[in-house]
Amino acid sequence: MNWRWALRDLARHRLRTALSLAGIAVAAALLLDMMMLSGGLERSFEKLLLSRGYQLRVTPKGTLPFDTEATMGGASDLVARIRAEPGVAEAGAMLATSVHALAGAARRSLVAYGVDPTAQGFYVLETGTDLDPSHPDAILLGLPAAAIVGARIGDTVEIAGRLDPQVGVASGTRRMVVRGTARFLYDARDQPSVAVTLGTAQALAGRSARDRASVIMVRVGDDSAAASVAGHLRERIPEVGVSSIGEMVVQFRTRLSYFRQLSLILGLIALVVTVLLVGTLLAITVNEQIGVIATLRAIGVARRSVFLYVMQQGLALTVVGSAAGLVLGIITARWLDAILTSFPGLPASISFFVAEPGSLLRAAVVLLITGVIAGLPPSWRAMHAPVAATLRSDAL
Amino acid sequence: MTPIIEARDVARVHALRGHSVEALRGVSLKVRAGEHLAITGPSGSGKSTLLTLLGGLERPTSGDVLVQGRSLATLDDRLLTRLRLEQVGFVFQRFHLLPVLTARENVELPMAEMRVSSRERKERAEELLAYVGLSGRSGHRPTELSGGEMQRVAIARALANRPAILLADEPTGELDMATGQAILDLFDRLNRDGMTMVVVTHDDRLAERAQRVVRMLDGQITN
Repeated sequence: MNWRWALRDLARHRLRTALSLAGIAVAAALLLDMMMLSGGLERSFEKLLLSRGYQLRVTPKGTLPFDTEATMGGASDLVARIRAEPGVAEAGAMLATSVHALAGAARRSLVAYGVDPTAQGFYVLETGTDLDPSHPDAILLGLPAAAIVGARIGDTVEIAGRLDPQVGVASGTRRMVVRGTARFLYDARDQPSVAVTLGTAQALAGRSARDRASVIMVRVGDDSAAASVAGHLRERIPEVGVSSIGEMVVQFRTRLSYFRQLSLILGLIALVVTVLLVGTLLAITVNEQIGVIATLRAIGVARRSVFLYVMQQGLALTVVGSAAGLVLGIITARWLDAILTSFPGLPASISFFVAEPGSLLRAAVVLLITGVIAGLPPSWRAMHAPVAATLRSDAL
Repeated sequence: MTPIIEARDVARVHALRGHSVEALRGVSLKVRAGEHLAITGPSGSGKSTLLTLLGGLERPTSGDVLVQGRSLATLDDRLLTRLRLEQVGFVFQRFHLLPVLTARENVELPMAEMRVSSRERKERAEELLAYVGLSGRSGHRPTELSGGEMQRVAIARALANRPAILLADEPTGELDMATGQAILDLFDRLNRDGMTMVVVTHDDRLAERAQRVVRMLDGQITN
């Protein structure tokens, strides 16, 4: 009784085995996707938050970054106080505001990030030259904004900070020179964003935005000190909110807990389906071969060998089906990711499904254990088949 | 001389759908080494049950069975299985060959269980298939063999580990007259070569060839 013989037994019923393998592959793919979904979203979010190396966010009290339109007054003083705190390596304010690109009678709404170019964690320059505090009329365009405005590096665009809501007349208009293109890290797909200096954004937003900021990004020199610096900032500047990456991930996790629940339920369903498929196929095989099994026991084949023979078939089904399922899972994860990341309001660079070796390994181990569990009842039945009674009934 | 198999006042009660059926009632029997014994009797007389007890496939409700002087009551399931593997060959009415294995691989199976090397298994299986007249059919699967050929493979499988005793339950029951005759000739040859044989049969031709015939009725030996 060896592996080759067990595999041949499966190959004898090609259609039945192929259908079972397909079922196991689909269940395995679902399980892998759910495992990637349950932890991947968080890890992807954490990676995104840390992508520019800023571990802390300072926001108006009681808010989270990008959560509201609330802003903080006295931004320059706040930044100076934060920079003076021990452990803080860098801090930069950002004001997010709506602006409008004017092209003749046309008005195109854009999202403007007003940043301190020396301390910003919102975009990555792709082409051209970065912003410079000495050039307040410079602007960087994201690709969707560049497409809407129809401008290239070196072009001049007319930007209005405000539009009269009744008649649509622009005010606070400035002519700005496109210095480069940038990829905005927290943008939703196709969001038309631009970056200008903080002072320019405040000027465009009008008097009410003077020296105000939506968020201040803080880089801590030593990663391990981020939590203690956050605590220190909370004590020293109690009028603002301070969030570490870990706290934001916890908030994110709480808000998206339904994703975890969904992935847990669907993952469990996938496991149950796998157990049922493997168990059913093996139970049918054992039933069909109960006479042969009794004969094998009669001629001296040990219970252990019979157990292993059936178990090997279950494991072979699980391993082959799972291997196909893991490949299928990675493919479907990409497809599902493309659908989910196109949801409005979500950063396009976030991934719901993160294929990591750990997820693959966990899924493979869980599936293997599932295969063993599924194979146990039929293997147990085969090894404990009453030999004489089975042979007697078989002879009738 | 110590009998190779001995049944001492064995009884066996089967539980069938809540009822107790006395399959054997105080049967005693001795089989000498090298003897060819036939057990005959009508259906339900207990002859197959007696064979399963002699081969250690199940345990008597009372009484004892000794094989080569060793009481089977003292053996646990693992040792009984080992005894069947090494000392007792079984042939059944239904051949029950593994359909995915070739004739040779089916014969190799008990040897594989004994951890005989692959080369030795192959050689011995080929020898046995030649002995039962199937030297050209070793690579065929059971579905490619006739009923008689399948029964010969089953006999070769029973002989794989050179058992001292061959127990056969209606070995010609599923075969036509001519094929059955060939199996009887094979059994004769086996017995001439020294094999102790106990054959349960309805077939008078098979019983006629035995050195001794035991007749059973209602769970008892009548002669």
